[in-house]
Amino acid sequence: MVIEQLKEKLYIEGEKVGFSHLELYYERTESLTIGLYEGEVDKYDFSDVQGASVRGLHNGKTGYAYTEKFDEEAVSYLLDSAWENAELNETESEEFYQNQASYEDARFFTPELERIKPEEMIGFLQDVEKKILAYDPRVTKIATSQMRYQKWEKGLLQHNGLALKETNNMLMFYVAVFVQANEELKTGTTFRMTKDFKGINADEVAKEAVEQALSMLGEQSYPNKKYPVVLRNDAAASLLAVFVSSFSAQTVQDNQSRLQGKLGEKIAAEHVNLIDNPFLPEGVRSATFDAEGVPTRKRIVVEGGKLQTYFHNLKTAKKDGVETTGHASRNSYKDSVGISPTNFYIESATQTYEGLYEKITEGIIITGLAGLHSGANPISGDFSLAAEGYYVREGKIVGPTKQMTVAGNFLDLLQDIEEIGEDLEFLPMDYNGYIGSPSLKIKNLAITID
Amino acid sequence: MLDKGLVEDVLQTALETGGDFSEVFVEERFTNQMAFQSSRLEKNLSGRDFGVGIRVFHGLQSVYAYTNDASREGLLKAARTAAKAIQGKQNGGTAIIPLMKETISTLHPIQIMPRKAAKTNKLAVMRKANEIIRNYDPEIVQAIIRMIDEEQNVLIANSEGKFVEDQRVRSRISFVSVASNGTDMQTGSYGPGAYQGFEFIENLDLHYFAKESARMAKTMLHADHAPSGKFPVIIDNEFGGVIFHEACGHGLEAASVAKNASVFANKIGERVASDLVTYIDDGTLENGWGSINVDDEGEKARKNVLIEHGILKGYMIDKLNGRRMGMSPTGSSRRESYRYAPTSRMTNTYIAPGQSTPKEIIADTEHGIYAKYMGGGSVNPGTGDFNFAVNEAYLVKNGKIDRPIRGATLIGNGAKTILNIDRVANNLGHGAGMCGASSGSLPVNVGQPMVRVSEITVGGKEA
Repeated sequence: MVIEQLKEKLYIEGEKVGFSHLELYYERTESLTIGLYEGEVDKYDFSDVQGASVRGLHNGKTGYAYTEKFDEEAVSYLLDSAWENAELNETESEEFYQNQASYEDARFFTPELERIKPEEMIGFLQDVEKKILAYDPRVTKIATSQMRYQKWEKGLLQHNGLALKETNNMLMFYVAVFVQANEELKTGTTFRMTKDFKGINADEVAKEAVEQALSMLGEQSYPNKKYPVVLRNDAAASLLAVFVSSFSAQTVQDNQSRLQGKLGEKIAAEHVNLIDNPFLPEGVRSATFDAEGVPTRKRIVVEGGKLQTYFHNLKTAKKDGVETTGHASRNSYKDSVGISPTNFYIESATQTYEGLYEKITEGIIITGLAGLHSGANPISGDFSLAAEGYYVREGKIVGPTKQMTVAGNFLDLLQDIEEIGEDLEFLPMDYNGYIGSPSLKIKNLAITID
Repeated sequence: MLDKGLVEDVLQTALETGGDFSEVFVEERFTNQMAFQSSRLEKNLSGRDFGVGIRVFHGLQSVYAYTNDASREGLLKAARTAAKAIQGKQNGGTAIIPLMKETISTLHPIQIMPRKAAKTNKLAVMRKANEIIRNYDPEIVQAIIRMIDEEQNVLIANSEGKFVEDQRVRSRISFVSVASNGTDMQTGSYGPGAYQGFEFIENLDLHYFAKESARMAKTMLHADHAPSGKFPVIIDNEFGGVIFHEACGHGLEAASVAKNASVFANKIGERVASDLVTYIDDGTLENGWGSINVDDEGEKARKNVLIEHGILKGYMIDKLNGRRMGMSPTGSSRRESYRYAPTSRMTNTYIAPGQSTPKEIIADTEHGIYAKYMGGGSVNPGTGDFNFAVNEAYLVKNGKIDRPIRGATLIGNGAKTILNIDRVANNLGHGAGMCGASSGSLPVNVGQPMVRVSEITVGGKEA
């Protein structure tokens, strides 16, 4: 049974059962992942999977259920489970969007990307592997070398209402290398997320990964104290990703955001702008409609340091008496409607990465953070995280530090952003939104070095 | 779940280009997820997952295909595409051995299947827990209770004649308490789980677990910031074992050992830990959250001694990495779902109990940190460098627990840290967790008695 047939049956049966509104949401994903180990294909995974979920309104309550099996039982399973779940639900009903809206005229699917052959992907990975091994004698091993193509389709079909569909695709490349000098073992990684296969340059990615690893050799310990800190773009983005939920109106309404009551107030240094843009050509979260079918729009969330809006879906917007911002989201058809940004980032300024630390007398550059899911408290904003990076003296990088921890509070950090780089970069994965940042110079943070 | 004849055809088709091993994994899973917050049921989801994974080997080459089209045409097409991706040398390939159905008796008895338990009964437990947390203290401002249960039915068959079906049933409830004094917020959490049905939730000591989460949140609200520096660190039992799960357990999985990407590679028979340390992975632990009857390649669960009195004894090995290593599988091959090819993973991993008592260990520590409840963390698998948050920590002064501290993060290197364990207590306990790696997110128990590490770097806000 395909989606169209499921929809027909579902709406006929659903009406009989007594749902006052029904909606079918589905996703279909095709993927191919190829990995290399010592020159040979070590991983070759491909898939074609779909799942669908029903959201129904019964007695003013919302109920959900999903299935990945499209057999004769699917309709009754979905309707019975959604009915039972709606009966138990104790929250206000969710809203169903039924406006005649205009959607941005944007296409994100790139047909050329679909035509890449597995052999081309393998050839590229082999090429990169050769270049990495030839780059420096201290390279001992390539830990991971992978390329993944993914195509996904999302659809929202309402009973007597909206019928929306969107397709997107992306190519991902990731490589991790080991280097060793004396007893010291270090790793370096690099990634690309792109719609342009030819645009990934094998020399460039090989160099990036190896240089990153080599730059970590020769680690030293330095005194524990508060240092001026430069958060490199990827590290800054990973920190922002942890605290994205603070901007959700749901989190605010649940009394779990310290941005509660801060609309219109200065929550960041005055040169900080935070943008949510659902139309970036290479944005993983690019879409013209959100999970409730509402048209998406570009939003300036923080302008000149001042908080302009929270992220809303229909339910939170109704409660606050505002219009939805089109940020209803679902992690997948397995999940209920929640809230998340689309492509969300700190806007670039003009300073070069080098320029951010050239005036620092003594400071730290953080190139990577770890333990983000455990060492950061999204409610309070407090974080204490493992970090790697370099020690800076008189505006110059002296060398890598031993493993560090960096501690502070995210809301204080936003206020303490002294300078912003020109080098906006997005994280390789979807962390409850596709999150990006340029490198940031922070007044100071508490650093402990192993 | 699938007709034996069809499975045989799929296994044979997958070998048509010269592959030497093929496998079919069929999964159907029913899940329920409920979340109770702001004193009401806020999330209530049900679903049915279904799909088939087909794997083919040719020597060390492996291809994996998955789909939820389980029609004859759908499966044969996936098998053919997988076979094509294997660049075998001969045509025709290996003939499969006729499938022999294996019957297994469960090691983990279930009383109340989760789908048979009324959701109103589940809700009643959540309501009760909410009450316990909110009544604990006026500073408790929020209680979040989540319940997850699942019934996973699997069929595993391969070209060596294996054909086995299993049913896995798991239930988990977690309590998150939020304490606030108006300006500051702190959380406390506890999340017990088991390879059991609704009886696990029903029989759980709610007063203990829910209250512990509230006590933790309140204690941390009134805690000072953690100091920074190197300290002896006492890590309590149960979930405290997460450090050694990350820092050593992952390094003992064939997935990293086979590729020489682990500090423990090629070290069998050598000293890798303090002689107080015996480290075990036991998939047979009755009704344990991380337990299994058979692994996801159909191998029977077993108890694997990994480190004995500090000496490395063995690894956790799956079929493919076993080929690379020239070693036999150990019943350790797992996957989150049909969407992942299986690989070597942990089940219930723990440090065996020692001789000391918890009291002695604290009394014997002049100046250090006591980590009562650990949070999560991560490890760089290549280097073994780890980091962990401590959810509830205390300063220890002159052999006594002094005062609570918050925001402590432990960093260090796994291989060095297990050499520095200088006390192991007798109070072994297990804690439930989810472990993420290349074959997805899996239920695992981490466990240990209280242990002391002579020195770990603690990072806090008070630099």
